[in-house]
Amino acid sequence: MHLPRWALALADENGCSGSTNAALAAVTSLPNLDERALVAEAQAGNRAAFEELVRRFDRDVLRLALNLMKRPEDARDVYQESFLKVYRNLHRFRFECSFYTWLYRIVTNVCLDHLRRRQARPEDQAPELNPNHREEGITDFFERQREHRPTLDPERSMMGLEIKARIARAMERLSPRERVVFEMKHYQGLKLRAIGDALGTTEETVKNSLFRATRKLRNELGGLR
Amino acid sequence: MSPFEKKMNCKDVAPLLVFYVCEEVSDDERKLIETHLANCKACSEQFAEEKEFHSTLVSAPQSADELDASGILLSQCRSELAETLDDLSAPPLQEHWRPFGWLRRWMALRPVWSGALLVLVGVLAGTQLVPWLEQNSTTTSQAMNVRARQPLTPDQLSNMVVSGLTVSPASGSDSPTVQLQLSAEQPMVLSGTVDDANMRQALTYVLQNAERFDAGVRLDCLDALKAAARDQQVRAALLNAARIDQNPAVRMKALEALREAAKEDDVRQVLLDALQHDSNPGVRVEAVNLLVGALNGETPPADTASTAPEAPAVASTPAPPGEEDFEHVVKVLQELQRRDPSRYVRLRSAAALRQIGPREVQ
Repeated sequence: MHLPRWALALADENGCSGSTNAALAAVTSLPNLDERALVAEAQAGNRAAFEELVRRFDRDVLRLALNLMKRPEDARDVYQESFLKVYRNLHRFRFECSFYTWLYRIVTNVCLDHLRRRQARPEDQAPELNPNHREEGITDFFERQREHRPTLDPERSMMGLEIKARIARAMERLSPRERVVFEMKHYQGLKLRAIGDALGTTEETVKNSLFRATRKLRNELGGLR
Repeated sequence: MSPFEKKMNCKDVAPLLVFYVCEEVSDDERKLIETHLANCKACSEQFAEEKEFHSTLVSAPQSADELDASGILLSQCRSELAETLDDLSAPPLQEHWRPFGWLRRWMALRPVWSGALLVLVGVLAGTQLVPWLEQNSTTTSQAMNVRARQPLTPDQLSNMVVSGLTVSPASGSDSPTVQLQLSAEQPMVLSGTVDDANMRQALTYVLQNAERFDAGVRLDCLDALKAAARDQQVRAALLNAARIDQNPAVRMKALEALREAAKEDDVRQVLLDALQHDSNPGVRVEAVNLLVGALNGETPPADTASTAPEAPAVASTPAPPGEEDFEHVVKVLQELQRRDPSRYVRLRSAAALRQIGPREVQ
């Protein structure tokens, strides 16, 4: 049976084999806890509960960060900074909103900070994702994996990459906030109200940002065919 | 009721299409839009375009798919976070501040030179620095040394903090020399005798504002002021301290400072008050002693020569207490002998009554 790292660590800490089983039983039950109970456990100082919380949400967080930052190292920074902020401020969470909303509030703020900083330093812009100038490393590996899939149509793939590069260039024209709103709406599938909660603003303001973002993209991209 | 009219026109519909495509319109708005689209070809075409644009955007490959399709980055992030959390939960390292780190490193590498250097520094410090410090400590004190007759301003007095008070015994017939180190607007040292009006002012201020000063400082002030008990200002401060100071030792010392003037009416009244009302038996006994001493004429004659010329002296050579006053004292002592809660005070009162007995008989 595969046990997460923290489960084994906890078992080691308990030392004797008698208590190990009990500890494992307690730990393995964590994934069954609901969000509220898990947060309460983490607030009480249970590290395993905190890591379980991270595991529930970090895939989405990293996805948001990657889509917004376009660079793995920046996304990694956002991931670290966000969850450390969550860890340090968890005692302040009062269940007035869902943990998911609270977490997203932190993550979007961290993303906005990074984007604004990057905007202030033009030399630090995200790389253009051009299909003809692919970066080596992880990306190539995944691309190779994809090419082996029998259903993949290479021509369609090239078109998709071309469109993606154009979208990425157009996205650079958006303000950090517009970019975050567009990303959260279209790629994270959040409702405008939830985005407003995460950004600490009203649904109406988010609606305006989304409208402006779409209009700018339309102007930049023209007809995407 | 929708904020829109029953029938929407193209101008109303156009901005809503963006939200209609991504399902962010209210039910009412959706119905109105759908009704309009069914009847308006231009808007239908615009909607189709919007929808296609939207689906192209949404279906375009995303950076996240490309950059972390296998989840390796996610695993890296998780393990980095776990490491950081381990560091955070580990007890903080005891990092001591190490001054002169460069010097320590230098000395660690050159033990012989370091030893020689330390010996040299020690010799220099012993032979040169200590005498130099001793020589300069008296002359280069940073505090302002005040010998002038200029009185302290009310501001200086109210900000005054006493940091030291030294009373040197009198040489010959002079009043004792007092050195008062205080911080007002700036550190200063007042030195002189209690005959100095400036000094008296500072010392009586301490007694009158007892709550601001330490009891030890007040006791030292009383020590210094004892010699000037005949001065009106000092007398008032002493009487005040004997009556209302919170600290019994200070009250007792104030009474003691008034010993020379114990025959005078105001002092006698304070002594009687202490006998009747002071909560501390020690103070009451001191008051009994002083009263008895005054009635038996133990008090040395007032030394008018020691009083400074500028100090207005209280009319001295008081008349011996009249019959009426004497009777009053006896009455109070008798009362004390009967009712005082302290056995020692009762015994002391009885003894006092015996001591002054002959006068009673007269």
